[in-house]
Amino acid sequence: MVEMNKILDINPVDLLVTVEAGVITESVSKAVEHLNLFFPPDPGSMKSSTIGGNIAENAGGLRGLKYGVTKDYVNSIEIVLPTGEIVNMGSNTVKAVTGYNFVDLICGSEGTLGVITKATLGLLPIPADRASILSFFKDMTDAAKTVIDIVAQGVITATLEIVDKVTINAIEDFLKIGLDRTVGAMLLIEVDGQKGATEIEADIVLKVCKSNNALSVRKAKNSQERDKLWEARRAALSSLSRIKPSTILEDATVQRSRIVELVEAVDGIAQKYNIMIGTFGHAGDGNLHPTILTDLRIPEEAEKTEKAIEEIFKATIALGGTLSGEHGIGITKAQYLKLELSKPVYDLMEKVKNAFDPNNILNPGKMKCVWNS
Amino acid sequence: MESEVKTKDKKNKFEILDKSDDLYICSRCGTCLAYCPIYKQTLNESFSPRGKMSLLEAINKGKLKYTDKVSEKLFTCTTCNLCKEECPSGVKLDEMINIAKSDLIYAGKYPEVLDMLKKRIKQAYNITFDSNAGRLDWTKQLPESDPEKYIKKEADVVYFVGCVSSFSPRSFGIPRSIVQDLDSAKVSYTLLGEEEWCCGFPLISSGIKDVIGDLVKHNIEAVKSKNAKLLVLSCPSCYHTWKYEYNKYSGKEIDFEILHISQYLLRLIKEGKIKLNSLSGKVTYHDPCDLGRNSGIYEEPREVIKSIPGLDFIDLPSNRELSNCCGGGGNLESINQTLASKIALAKADEIIETKADIVITSCQQCNRTIDSSLKKKKKETGTKVKVMDLPELVLQSIQEQKAEN
Repeated sequence: MVEMNKILDINPVDLLVTVEAGVITESVSKAVEHLNLFFPPDPGSMKSSTIGGNIAENAGGLRGLKYGVTKDYVNSIEIVLPTGEIVNMGSNTVKAVTGYNFVDLICGSEGTLGVITKATLGLLPIPADRASILSFFKDMTDAAKTVIDIVAQGVITATLEIVDKVTINAIEDFLKIGLDRTVGAMLLIEVDGQKGATEIEADIVLKVCKSNNALSVRKAKNSQERDKLWEARRAALSSLSRIKPSTILEDATVQRSRIVELVEAVDGIAQKYNIMIGTFGHAGDGNLHPTILTDLRIPEEAEKTEKAIEEIFKATIALGGTLSGEHGIGITKAQYLKLELSKPVYDLMEKVKNAFDPNNILNPGKMKCVWNS
Repeated sequence: MESEVKTKDKKNKFEILDKSDDLYICSRCGTCLAYCPIYKQTLNESFSPRGKMSLLEAINKGKLKYTDKVSEKLFTCTTCNLCKEECPSGVKLDEMINIAKSDLIYAGKYPEVLDMLKKRIKQAYNITFDSNAGRLDWTKQLPESDPEKYIKKEADVVYFVGCVSSFSPRSFGIPRSIVQDLDSAKVSYTLLGEEEWCCGFPLISSGIKDVIGDLVKHNIEAVKSKNAKLLVLSCPSCYHTWKYEYNKYSGKEIDFEILHISQYLLRLIKEGKIKLNSLSGKVTYHDPCDLGRNSGIYEEPREVIKSIPGLDFIDLPSNRELSNCCGGGGNLESINQTLASKIALAKADEIIETKADIVITSCQQCNRTIDSSLKKKKKETGTKVKVMDLPELVLQSIQEQKAEN
């Protein structure tokens, strides 16, 4: 698939780009930059991930709160069905309600229904202005409350990222950019839009941070400082992964209003099992990445980790959330599907799979759960 | 052919079995796919850095054995180290791949060409089929062609020429320029002639570790016997080996200074010993992997270029830490010539994109691969870019004065 890497058509009038499935995500935005356009979904792996993979995974990214995820930008696709037919699904019109919405079904189907070969994707104009804000808090609870309040004040930020103390220290160990190691949490916020509008929104964000007991809050003075802040955020996972040999990145997601409870639940689980968890993530989307740092080569550690993961999932579901916001179910999370899906819904999934792939030749075992209880 | 490289000392087991931390730290995130020159040309995951780590993890866990296929994948690497530079998790890919190469040598699964390489180095102390007595053949076409002039009993500076520049006629321009640069600066220097032995880099980078001790010992003694305060090298791989590996293998600190020619030229320019005169043209610079990323020398060559009046300098789109390999590294050319050539052509495209008239490099190997690929491009597209090594550019600038006088 990686050899199918051509950008086939750029249509700036309709804000569309048509690509082969092996095109690297970042190169889509690069190809349309000169037209002042961009492709919003920006997963952390955008330098090496392919569009086909992003669609199959329904990949997210840092800008989900304002710009949504991959499925929000897929107009139409060409797929090869496991029964051999090459079909087109979806429409390149702004609206389309003709038949079932198969494109949304394929998005996030993890390669179980068909092989994506081509896609026509939506683009947006690059925002005229951006402002980044950095704020420190004494604990994750204050930071999470701030997240809820910012949106409640009517500001839909482009990004609204939370980073906990373990992760702040890991980033600082790696990058040495002068982050305050004593604080309990940090928020990294970006607003974008028309000049003037971003200033008004940034002011609201500053006020909300202060009213939630922020230890400090400031706007990035220039683009270099802004780039440095985002470099720090992008380095979160990799910095954590340097601490221990095994890094288990989870993807628990709740409604934004429940984020404080999720943060506290994860903290409780870390203490209960005496394991190291670094948490960061897209707090504005209610999507956290609690990251367990361990050494799976040690059997006791592996066992503790497995139990902790299951508890994180159960806590997430109890809060009305979902097992995975953007990373998918695959094989490792498949056994937990029954925590979230009802039996009739899971059965329906199996029927859909069977309708597309009667011979079960595409990714057998993915999203497949043994339902014996 | 009888196995030359397999070491006689029996190891208890493969080293990879004891060193698995980095194999686990590698989260297979795929960042390396965006940078690895091998992956970018083959689009084959099992040749990519993360693919190599997956293979090694399988070996570590006993799920896979060191086979010929595994060997092909591990040895297909330019050792450019861009993967390590960009790895977000800090995985020491270079160390892991070198450990695997050592294991593969022990397992008897390695490219045949290494047997020949080791044999030559062991017998003739250089990487070619020529006798080591030919180390100074390149001096014959110099204005002062008496090789005796270049071998002094004692001198302040020893210039270590390196095998490629000593024996490959395509590279003779580099040492010839260097001795003329040094002459112009009135430096007291000497060459080692046949007392210069291969530095050992081709063996170390292939995971062959049993001959290196003799080479290190001999070369250090050879430099010391000249009472030199400074050792200058023009080959980045020789430089890297002397600077970062020799201490390890000799077991003691080296007490003379070691500089790459780009650093030494800059020093001579700053001291006013080399007078540079105006040249013209748009110039770009290619960072050799062993000089830049692997030894941290980025600014000195640029400063030398910028000290020459009249030149218009432009960096390549990917420069310094992010410099793309020319394809000439890691014995890849002798293992997979087609692949090495594809990597070199991608480099040529990047150079042509800058619209420079001249590309400067500071490595005989990069010089040759870039020159070949630019010549191919010239045939296809008519684009003309000249390749020069840094000391050649400096000599041109020095001689420009002579022309003016």
